[in-house]
Amino acid sequence: MTVTEATPQAPPERPAERGNARKEGWIRRAPLLPALIFTIIVTQLPFLVTIWYSLQSWNLVRPGSQRFVGLENYATVFTDSQFRGVALNSIILTLGAVFIAMILGLAIALLLNRAFVGRGIVRTLIITPFLITPVAGALLWKTVMFDPTYGLVNFVLGPFGADQTDWISTFPRAAVIVALVWQWTPFMMLLILAGLGSQPAEVLEAARMDGANGFAVFREVTLPHLRRFIELGVVLGAIYLVNTFDTIYMMTQGGPGTASANLPFYIYQRAFLGFDIGESAAMGVVTVVATIIVATLALRLIFRSFSAAEEA
Amino acid sequence: MADVVFDQASRIYTAGAKPAVDRLDLTVSDGEFVVLVGPSGSGKSTALRMLAGLEEIDGGSIRIDGENMVGVSSKDRDIAMVFQNYALYPNKTVGENMAFPLKMAGVEKSARAEKVREAAAILGLTDYLDRKPRALSGGQRQRVAMGRAIVREPRVFLMDEPLSNLDAKMRVSTRTEIAALQRRLGVTTVYVTHDQVEAMTMGDRVALLADGKLQQFATPADLYDRPANAFVAGFIGSPAMNLFTVPLTERGVRLAGHELALPRDVRATLGTHQITEVTLGIRPEQWTVTDSGTEGIPARVDVVEELGSDAFLYGTLAESTGDLSDDSAVLTGSGQDAVVVRTGGRSGTRRGDRIALTPSVEGLHLFHPESGERL
Amino acid sequence: MTAATASGTTTSPNAAAPVPRRTGRGSGALLTVLAWIVGIGFFFPVLWMVLTAFKTEADAYTDPPTLFFAPTLDNFVEVFAGGVGPYLLNSLFATVVSTLLVLLLGTPAAFALSLRPVKKTQDVLFFFISTKMLPVVAAIVPIYVVVNYMGALDNIWTLIVLYTAMNLPIAVWMMRSFFLEVPRELLEAASMDGASLGRSLREVVLPIVSPGMAATALICMIFSWNEFFFAVNLTASRAATVPVYLVGFITSEGLYFASLCAAATVAALPVVIAGWIAQNKLVQGLSFGAVK
Repeated sequence: MTVTEATPQAPPERPAERGNARKEGWIRRAPLLPALIFTIIVTQLPFLVTIWYSLQSWNLVRPGSQRFVGLENYATVFTDSQFRGVALNSIILTLGAVFIAMILGLAIALLLNRAFVGRGIVRTLIITPFLITPVAGALLWKTVMFDPTYGLVNFVLGPFGADQTDWISTFPRAAVIVALVWQWTPFMMLLILAGLGSQPAEVLEAARMDGANGFAVFREVTLPHLRRFIELGVVLGAIYLVNTFDTIYMMTQGGPGTASANLPFYIYQRAFLGFDIGESAAMGVVTVVATIIVATLALRLIFRSFSAAEEA
Repeated sequence: MADVVFDQASRIYTAGAKPAVDRLDLTVSDGEFVVLVGPSGSGKSTALRMLAGLEEIDGGSIRIDGENMVGVSSKDRDIAMVFQNYALYPNKTVGENMAFPLKMAGVEKSARAEKVREAAAILGLTDYLDRKPRALSGGQRQRVAMGRAIVREPRVFLMDEPLSNLDAKMRVSTRTEIAALQRRLGVTTVYVTHDQVEAMTMGDRVALLADGKLQQFATPADLYDRPANAFVAGFIGSPAMNLFTVPLTERGVRLAGHELALPRDVRATLGTHQITEVTLGIRPEQWTVTDSGTEGIPARVDVVEELGSDAFLYGTLAESTGDLSDDSAVLTGSGQDAVVVRTGGRSGTRRGDRIALTPSVEGLHLFHPESGERL
Repeated sequence: MTAATASGTTTSPNAAAPVPRRTGRGSGALLTVLAWIVGIGFFFPVLWMVLTAFKTEADAYTDPPTLFFAPTLDNFVEVFAGGVGPYLLNSLFATVVSTLLVLLLGTPAAFALSLRPVKKTQDVLFFFISTKMLPVVAAIVPIYVVVNYMGALDNIWTLIVLYTAMNLPIAVWMMRSFFLEVPRELLEAASMDGASLGRSLREVVLPIVSPGMAATALICMIFSWNEFFFAVNLTASRAATVPVYLVGFITSEGLYFASLCAAATVAALPVVIAGWIAQNKLVQGLSFGAVK
């Protein structure tokens, strides 16, 4: 389970051969450049343009309306109570789904981390929600599962008095979280399973020899070992989930009102339904800044995971 | 068939830092089996990899058959190497592994098959040619690696600790096989190991490296009998030579309060060095053991290692028998007075016994107390 | 001795095979049953989707739901007759071409970041991973404007370019981790055996990393196939992909569970199968190779 890594450094150059070394450097770099340049152009330039747009007043519906307005859009965004509500929704949806998925994933991984009949099949069954096209999954939850009359959820919960509840309009955020948790628990489970698999058997045996019972072994040995995997799962899950669009689009359209809209969906609405380029660009920039804060943390974690793996 | 010359060859990883290999001079004659030995970090593997073309030569040169190898890539050097973990191509069969260098050299398919068959016969791999490396035992993999090296009849064989992944018994038998094979093929061979027993048993000559510097390059017998410095003396031989720092006296040296007389000419040599102390080396087999109270240096036996054919006594020297009180530290590792003695097997000596030890005068090695050079 | 040995020779078993431990018989059986219940529970919505796809609409709309019914292929016939074909073709084309491009660009890059590393390897890796962390939504506006300006709206090649950029960082990281698993000695041995770099890559490295490359390709395919945000915003009719096709089912108010489920089954089937095949490497891909 180790990622042996360690960025082998290029050998130091001899001063006399600097010309050669430069040539050698370009030979080494050559295979990298196409991918690097392509990625920079396609992923970085748009962000720069976004910053430029965010300083403009520009609505596509009114041609010729484009003009430079400085930070005005940002002022609008920060005073927009809807935007603040949507930002809060983003946090609730992301964190809610990530934490519930992690807890379930951890429990299921522990359940599956033993030899039993059909283990491979059970594992395959569980990961299916993660593979299925999210749009199809969301559609499935909206209709077959949550439909007030014919949905399975109400059928199952019927005996408990949940008959005819319209889950999606009554609890839009919770409904979205349920669909997201269903989709992301398998990912967490796979991650934790990998973590459990990377635990050397000797350590567990040693702990048992030292007189620890099952729960003590889990708390004192397994859980600290899993810490890195849990952190990674939370961070990666948050990064992927903060971008959630399809599930909201399909299940609630952000509604009722903006009750279940997150930032991606709201920005989409402003840009493609409201045609307000300037304001949606400003929201985009705000989102990016917020994400960078989280992402910096995430990157540090991932790199730490790498170095930890090296030591292992 | 070729000779190999290291001429002031150096490898410097980071400018200004201590070189990994420091101005190494070494001449390997055609057909010779030379072993590079040394502790880890001594630069022996780096030196080998420089010869292989896997490390840069940052200073000096390395010549094969008079041809300078600086700037020549490994694939053009016509040398073969056996790696520590064998580096067999996992997706190729044994036969394909062995045929690979021939294929790269553009040898025709039928000729390739023929050569592989020959090599496989020599190495007893004929029945395994269609297997993948992972289906082989460690010893068989080792032989495939050997086979891959010998099929193409290179100018030089390089071997980088090829036995270190084998179990102890296998190591001994393979050691003999490799040495015999090399004699039979007559290909110049440079062999790296950290195991001094391998070095002594396999090499025509042995080069001992430490800290990137060559300590001594000599036949195994010379290395053992006439170590060039205290490091060589301590490294070669198992158990290691006893080394004591002792004061010089009128007639010789004083060890544990007992004067050991030295021949006049030796004393004369020592006199030219303006030293008051000297490092005295005595190999374990150069002691005579007698009963306590007889002539000799009193000693207490702390540990006995009985090997059957012979035995090693680990003990403590003292000025007088009385100093060997029972509660004095056992195996404190203080060095100065600890001694290892080889005796015949089943000598009957026990732990705690008091004995007297007399070194043989011919068996004394003297080294400079600071530089460690042989005097 | 060597300054930078970066040989990872860990041949760890896949995530599929950690060290399972057998528990006592009684509690063991209970846990096994529990594991199966959880497994089926998670799978159930998918199973129900597939079952419903084979029902008539009448069977699909019952309260309580019908478990036993006469299966019919009518819904699938209807889905294909209703024109899912072009969407499937678009998805297939975008997925396959973008994955090929990813491999074409990503393999040399991964090589330059592992076996023959460039000096700023860490920085480049950092850059690649950071592109995955920036929200796509922040770039959609200029992308839309530029694509519109270039007249490339509703063009499958637009999606191909974007999907390639979307998957490239993951592929570079994944393949790098596979390259790093190739013992450095193998390359050295090949060079001692007289092979040029190109030869050793083809003859020695490629056979070793090809399973990893296959897994990388499958994961890129899953992402491209499932992608919705770009597809819904940048395509209309000609270049629309399968997820966009599914959107049609929520806008039509009269719900038809059975045909909807048939459509969703058709849409999801390719990626589910791809994912089942690649499941052992799935985590490695999604965690940028941090976890195997």
